Amino acid sequence: MFRLQGSKVLAVDMTGDAVKAKNGSMVAYDGQMAFKKLSGGGEGIRGMVTRRLTGEQMTMMEVKGHGTCWFADRASEINLVNLQGDKLYVESSNLLATDAGLRTGTSFTGVRGASQGNGLFTTTVEGHGQAALLSDGPAVVLRVSAQFPLVVDPGAYIAHQGNVRQSFQSGVTFRTFMGEGGGEAFQIRFEGDGLVYVQPSERNTIAGDV
Amino acid sequence: MTTYPGAGPVIHDPATLPSDDNVNAYTFCVELKGSEWFLQKGKMIAYYGSMTFEGIGHGRLDRLVRTSFHSPLHASDWVVASGSGKMLLADRAFDVNSYDLDDGNLTIRSGNLLAFQPSLALKQSIVPGFLTLIGTGKFVAASNGPVVFMEPPIRVDPQALVGWADCPSPCHHYDHGYMTGLMGGLRAMTGIGGASGEEHQFEFVGAGTVLLQSSETLMEEQATGAVPGEPGVPGSGATTGHSGPQGGTPRLPGQLGDLQRRFGL
Repeated sequence: MFRLQGSKVLAVDMTGDAVKAKNGSMVAYDGQMAFKKLSGGGEGIRGMVTRRLTGEQMTMMEVKGHGTCWFADRASEINLVNLQGDKLYVESSNLLATDAGLRTGTSFTGVRGASQGNGLFTTTVEGHGQAALLSDGPAVVLRVSAQFPLVVDPGAYIAHQGNVRQSFQSGVTFRTFMGEGGGEAFQIRFEGDGLVYVQPSERNTIAGDV
Repeated sequence: MTTYPGAGPVIHDPATLPSDDNVNAYTFCVELKGSEWFLQKGKMIAYYGSMTFEGIGHGRLDRLVRTSFHSPLHASDWVVASGSGKMLLADRAFDVNSYDLDDGNLTIRSGNLLAFQPSLALKQSIVPGFLTLIGTGKFVAASNGPVVFMEPPIRVDPQALVGWADCPSPCHHYDHGYMTGLMGGLRAMTGIGGASGEEHQFEFVGAGTVLLQSSETLMEEQATGAVPGEPGVPGSGATTGHSGPQGGTPRLPGQLGDLQRRFGL
């Protein structure tokens, strides 16, 4: 059972079950806990090879026991996500913890990843359960629906879930090269039905400079 | 439509997003209805609707820029958003707030200003590194920690100052006992004998409001553009007719005086 203590610490109450968490993110626990490094994020040999090949590195540990365990990472804000059979796409650096029952994997993001400076691949979390996301400042959850598509700056994007198509739109014109660009040259457009998580801060991306 | 119970505290869509108000302490939502806003490059994080972002300084926006943008050398850091829809602004997870000016004036540190309505005119302040907004309208500013409003007369720490409204007299204040004489000079140079780090303040007197942030973390400076190299213009680097006693050496910002003067020679 995931709950937030303040907005920057995640408390997980466990009764013999397990959670997967970012390696080294435990800050305290009471009761009996065992920490086990998960090679390849618990995705098996195939998962390990995929992660190594795609560069979407993620070091996770499995925490199992009875009691409460607290997690935090560099005072980043934590956001809880409930998954009911749908798929969450998140950058591996923004994933703090998931229920052990959720499957994690890697997927191709296409050109969006390249504009974000995060590589061409992203992490997926699938199944029924809870996940905790990290963001720089509290994330804003925006709904995407058929009549309201959403456009997001690649630097502020952290995750999305649901049945959403993403496409890349570029505002690069000859003016960009003259130093008179709009400053928002690369954008990701989301269409369909789902949720997009954005943080009130922008990572450094190649798009930030044009 | 699918629902996601418990997927975070609030889920926003265009209907629930506020119009020209804060979504949370760190995110501000601007509604455009065929109108225009000036914003600093790269501060838009997401938008619904159809909008265009154009660098200023060319053709179509010339009229707008002429009436409300008066820092031509600073133009490449700003864009004009136009169209209709709702747009979210944020800056490095700093606190953001909007302020209304009613036929007023406000001077703000250049790095703290995020966006403003074109009904306001943006000008470079005489004080280097600051920008002045004049007119009626709304603007959005960021700060590290919430902003507090103070009434003059007041002396404030240079790092905590965000801006001021209506005060015509921003000036430097030095703690005299600390800064003069042989011992004062030694203390200031070496820190031996206890430099408190608070010997220098900005002083405001007169009617108005002073805006302070609740931390001493400075926002990254935004270039405000060079000022004309004329005698009498602060920051222009032009000689002022007579060369002072230390003419020639470049002065560091915040540098108080030279050694001889500090030691009373």
